[in-house]
Amino acid sequence: MTLALQLLVNGVVAGGLLALVALGLAVIFGVMRVVNFAHGEFVTLGAYVTWLLAAQMGLPPLLGVPLSFLIGGAVGWVVQAIIIQRVAARPSLDVLMVTYALSALGLGLFSLAFGGDFRSYSAGPSGELRILGASIGYRSLTVLCVCALLTTAVLILLRSGRLGLALRAVAQNRDAAASSGIDVHRTERVAFSLAVGLASAAGSLVSLIGTTTPYVGHDWVLDAFVVVVIGGLGSVTGAILAALAIGLVQSVCGFALDDAWAKIITYALLYAGLLVRPRGLFGEQAEV
Amino acid sequence: MREEPRLTISAVLPPIVLAALALAAPRFGASAYVQILIYYFAYYLTLGQAWNLMSGLTGYVSFAHGALAGIGAYAAVMALNAEWSLALGLLMGPAVAVVASLLIGATSLRLRGVPFTFATLFFQELALLAVRKIPQTGGPGGLALQDILPIWLPQALMIVLACAATLLMAGVRQSRLGIRLLAIKGDETAALSLGLPTGRLKLAIFCLSAAVAGAAGAIHGLFTASLYPDVVFNVDVSLTSLAAPLIGGVATAAGPALGALLYVGVGELLEIFAPGLHTAVIGLLLLLVILFMPSGIGPFVAARLRTSARPTNAPESAAHKAAE
Amino acid sequence: MNAVLEVSGIDKRFGGLHAVRALSLEVGAGELVGLFGPNGAGKTTLFNMIAGALKPDAGVIRLNGQDITSLPAWRRARLGLARTFQITRPFRELTALENVLAAVPREGATQRRDARSARNLLAQVGLGDRAGEMAGRLTMGMLKRLEVARALAIEPILLLLDEPLAGLTERESAELLDLVVGLKQHASVVMVEHNVRQAMPVCDRALVLDAGALIASGKPAEVRADPRVVSAYLGVEAEASC
Repeated sequence: MTLALQLLVNGVVAGGLLALVALGLAVIFGVMRVVNFAHGEFVTLGAYVTWLLAAQMGLPPLLGVPLSFLIGGAVGWVVQAIIIQRVAARPSLDVLMVTYALSALGLGLFSLAFGGDFRSYSAGPSGELRILGASIGYRSLTVLCVCALLTTAVLILLRSGRLGLALRAVAQNRDAAASSGIDVHRTERVAFSLAVGLASAAGSLVSLIGTTTPYVGHDWVLDAFVVVVIGGLGSVTGAILAALAIGLVQSVCGFALDDAWAKIITYALLYAGLLVRPRGLFGEQAEV
Repeated sequence: MREEPRLTISAVLPPIVLAALALAAPRFGASAYVQILIYYFAYYLTLGQAWNLMSGLTGYVSFAHGALAGIGAYAAVMALNAEWSLALGLLMGPAVAVVASLLIGATSLRLRGVPFTFATLFFQELALLAVRKIPQTGGPGGLALQDILPIWLPQALMIVLACAATLLMAGVRQSRLGIRLLAIKGDETAALSLGLPTGRLKLAIFCLSAAVAGAAGAIHGLFTASLYPDVVFNVDVSLTSLAAPLIGGVATAAGPALGALLYVGVGELLEIFAPGLHTAVIGLLLLLVILFMPSGIGPFVAARLRTSARPTNAPESAAHKAAE
Repeated sequence: MNAVLEVSGIDKRFGGLHAVRALSLEVGAGELVGLFGPNGAGKTTLFNMIAGALKPDAGVIRLNGQDITSLPAWRRARLGLARTFQITRPFRELTALENVLAAVPREGATQRRDARSARNLLAQVGLGDRAGEMAGRLTMGMLKRLEVARALAIEPILLLLDEPLAGLTERESAELLDLVVGLKQHASVVMVEHNVRQAMPVCDRALVLDAGALIASGKPAEVRADPRVVSAYLGVEAEASC
């Protein structure tokens, strides 16, 4: 029982973090029909910003969450405006490769700036909470709470208010949205910045419970891609549910076998899933 | 303006001549360093053509080709270590790569673009994880080729393969198959309405491109003589297979050659002056090329030369504007 | 003697909307049939079901007697069903010649599909001198002709034209209609059109849809005078002017 609870807890923490990353991907694809291969680099950005804050400047790492969100969002705004917008009208091969090239560029810059060393810090919450025999570290608990908070905030944003309406309108029918007076380009920019800001915030949290390397974002984003494929590209609810599911599956498999097998099983399931239900379980797939 | 689809002498001759020169290079006193550069040029060119055959022609982006080459390397080395003959051992490279491509293709090629790209992305991760786990591949500690072969053998083989891959690309591009694949790239719905069995065509070219990648990997396995999963299936390997065609020219046979030349050249310069910059610079180069010269440097330059050679532009551009 | 196209009891609903109601029609060899009707009548839905882009909820579609209801679009093309698109879909990175060469001839086609025969097809649609031109550089009128040439490359027995006159001037429409009429020697033609004034007179038979049902079928002159047809169109106009 306590084991099951422990696995559940671990799974939900991982799933929550994954959901935050996948959420951004789902929003970008939903609104812009773009697969953002550079998403991982924004996660890495948030991780390094927070590491610098905590390890180099001695500030509380939790400050890194809003700071990363803002920095990531700002960088995203600029990237969207001067790069992604330019290729928006081109065939999807080009757009894909642009984000891929950005990813390579980002990875290269991080390697250059910080080297390949594993970075971590000890500042921030410590100790663990014991509930019903399961232990959950305060760091993990913090991560879980912030993830839940941010995810809820995003869901509320999407469901109410003008911005949420604009985002959903553009996602459903670009031309109709434009004729309704919605500034589509601006909406896309906001969507992108918001999404990568979230990714950076997630990266900040990742640095709290793990080590930071130039590749850290890439590893998380790969799992996030699995999540959006299963959950359906462009589906926000699908992303959240699939993320939790993947988190749990990997937690259980990771315990029963080992982490590597957990991933292998995930990918094997994914291929099987693609075979059976190519559009993912939840999403209305937009054909590229 | 292209008229009859036909494989011309001007397409066939340069690769053969260049290959002959490259093979003869040691005789002319080329240093070992130069021979290695030639080898890597041939390797990136071959991988580039493999990627080009699939992604350049159909527009379906593959991130699997680096991993397919890696699988080819492991298959060949394992076969040779098991005392198979050289020919048979090398053949295992493309054979296993084709089987792997069937796995990816069957699950994702029935759909349009994006799921396929994801499937290839995950494949690279899967390959890394699987190879690290399976004891027969030597696990994380790596696998070494037991009988080291003379270095000129993989070098010569790679040059020949690069030439063959380039001729293959040129041949496919000019053939009815090439036109149909480009039709899929242009508009898959319209292609279907014209009777093209798009699913089968995509799978067929994907398997062919996997065979080329697998062959390249097999030879590379002989060259490096020791394989480490973290190196062979690194994140960067997918970058190497697509850099050459994207930079030099997509969907053309000559493009990857230009791209591979630049890739090797830039790589060497960076090694000398700023080793840590490699990934960043290549990423930046790719970004700039895609932004400003979308089909690659080759076609961009070719188009510029064509328009400057044309006598009257005015009626042409008016018609073009009307079409936009 | 089988009709070239036989549609029996074709039905389609989109949620609460009954787009096509148990519709049946036939097209004979060498016929040019026009499909008309006000907006929302179900013409496009019917067209897409015949072309293979949409699955009917019920009913059977036969091509030369063969049931094609559940066949995907490319298999229908192999059996001789060709279609054009309302918004042209050229292969922009290929030349006009290559666009035509891309098509796969139907099973049992007699003509060799080589560069020469492709050029002939282009000449037939008036694009003979544009063979080496990139499709992306052609004007809209030329692209419409290219669509037709490509479709002809299949050597179809049935040609479906999706609003071929959309976006064309009066003169361009007249020219394209000349071309369409000339296609009858190759195949049966079914044409969906909004431009009743120019398109209906050239048809051998006109079919009019309204609210998913066939309300008139016959020679163009009769159909145009049919009171149900008039009210179907006028009814829409009257609503629009409120």
